[in-house]
Amino acid sequence: MKPLREQFAETMLDIGQSDERLTVVVGDISHGIMQPFAKACEGRYFNIGICEPAMVSMCAGLASQGLVPVIHTIAPFLIERSYEQIKLDFGYQKLAGNFISVGGAFDYAQLGCSHHCYTDVSLLCHIENSQVFCPGSAEEFDALFNATYDSGHINYFRLTENPHGVTLQGAVTPGKIVCVQEGSDISLIAVGPQLRHVVEAAGQLRENYGISAEVLYVHTIKPFDAGAVADSVMKTKRAIVVEELSAQDGVFNLVLKAWDCRDKAVIRQLAISQFIHEYGSYEHLCKVSGLDTESVVTLAKEMTAHGKD
Amino acid sequence: MLNKELRKRIVEIVTVAKEGHIPSSFSIVDIIDHLYGNVLKFNPQDPAWPERDIFVLSKGHGCAGLYVVLEKYGLLSREQLDTYSQNGSILGGHPDRSKVPFVEASTGSLGHGFPFAAGIALGRKIKKSPANVVALLGDGECHEGTIWEAAHVAANRKLNNLTAVVDWNESGMQLCPVDDMPAKWASFGWDVEVFDGHDKKALTAACCRIGAGDKPLALIARNIKGKGVPLVEGHGRWHHRIPNQEEFNELMEVLS
Repeated sequence: MKPLREQFAETMLDIGQSDERLTVVVGDISHGIMQPFAKACEGRYFNIGICEPAMVSMCAGLASQGLVPVIHTIAPFLIERSYEQIKLDFGYQKLAGNFISVGGAFDYAQLGCSHHCYTDVSLLCHIENSQVFCPGSAEEFDALFNATYDSGHINYFRLTENPHGVTLQGAVTPGKIVCVQEGSDISLIAVGPQLRHVVEAAGQLRENYGISAEVLYVHTIKPFDAGAVADSVMKTKRAIVVEELSAQDGVFNLVLKAWDCRDKAVIRQLAISQFIHEYGSYEHLCKVSGLDTESVVTLAKEMTAHGKD
Repeated sequence: MLNKELRKRIVEIVTVAKEGHIPSSFSIVDIIDHLYGNVLKFNPQDPAWPERDIFVLSKGHGCAGLYVVLEKYGLLSREQLDTYSQNGSILGGHPDRSKVPFVEASTGSLGHGFPFAAGIALGRKIKKSPANVVALLGDGECHEGTIWEAAHVAANRKLNNLTAVVDWNESGMQLCPVDDMPAKWASFGWDVEVFDGHDKKALTAACCRIGAGDKPLALIARNIKGKGVPLVEGHGRWHHRIPNQEEFNELMEVLS
């Protein structure tokens, strides 16, 4: 599977050669893979150093001059450390830009809590005029970025290091949930890279327990496709949201709002509920935080053990 | 240079609105007046004129000092300024670029305007524009780490179209008295000049250096907070105090 970061560099090169406003600023990461862009788009690439808040403010200054900034570094430093700069210098000043992170959730699994980030998506959703994306594949990122980078919004793209590997049918459209497979007993709502575990879980539920799971895939958190969720839950009356986001917020809340208590339904969440003081692989940390195939299967079995009423 | 008329106008609008920072505004109003009157290129008919110079008031709480200058040069009407900080006004206690023509940056949270200005300067370089960018920041504001992040980047990117005017009225030194402002900017690779920010001759000479060097320029203004009226000069309770009638009369009498 093509790494999303590699696609990021290629997408910048493609767009940068035709759009002279696109300016890429990185915080001392991805410097090597950005060299083709730096050469092809001379004077519009800056490895600014390790100073994320000022980097964000400076990029707002670029935006005020009619440029289209792309700001890239590791999620906790780009979003959590620099949140006031995003809020004031982009949000309040009504300026547009593109924030591209790596290392969301616990992608830097071996580096510990300092490099984890569970709240980035939620924080960006609070900013007026923002759009928030969690693409799970290189193709999705390319499609979503091309469709939105010059839309006048504050766009946030959280690039996973762990693409889901699921082939989606049809084009990826910003703000539209993808129904990966239809089902009738329970809706499994996967965000970004967690689609892999959810698809695996849906297969096991069908083959081992005769449970028919509908799989919905969310790559766009804001704007949120509330209609697709409501239609699915209306059919299944049960849903599990599986997301590498803080359990305090995230897509679970959006699903509850989408459902809006319109009927009796059981809606649960698998998410990150506490700091993860663990090291090892991404899969290990998924298991530790209950974001693995087995956890989805177990919860789905429990929720479908009783009738819908 | 004691610009008494501008100071009187500051006192008027702050007193009516019951909001504003009079000493901070007095500290910088002479500099802002000189910049708009003698240094900055702008088109009064077109706030978005692409070749204009840019002024960013990074210490946004001194905005009364900016508003009265904008009024003086016809960039803000008297009617608009009379609504300062009142219901429905475009003019609040911190400047808002989304509402006020000729205001280039929304500031208020210290440490934001200067990095934003550095970004504008970088943007002007990318677009090969010869215009200058001038940011005015407080010495207390220089406690913020983002000031030095941006200063570091600006020097390394050779942003010689960027000038930082530092209102060195020793507000920051109340808390951190070890504060050699000129040495700090010089150590970050900036050209530095120290001058009397209330003296027309010194101010004129210092501002002649804007855009003339091959490095970013720090103009360190030896200012007095509240300069112009002994009642409000210095540090203390007047920082965010609104005059009562008796104090208003005293301020206006001294400025007459």
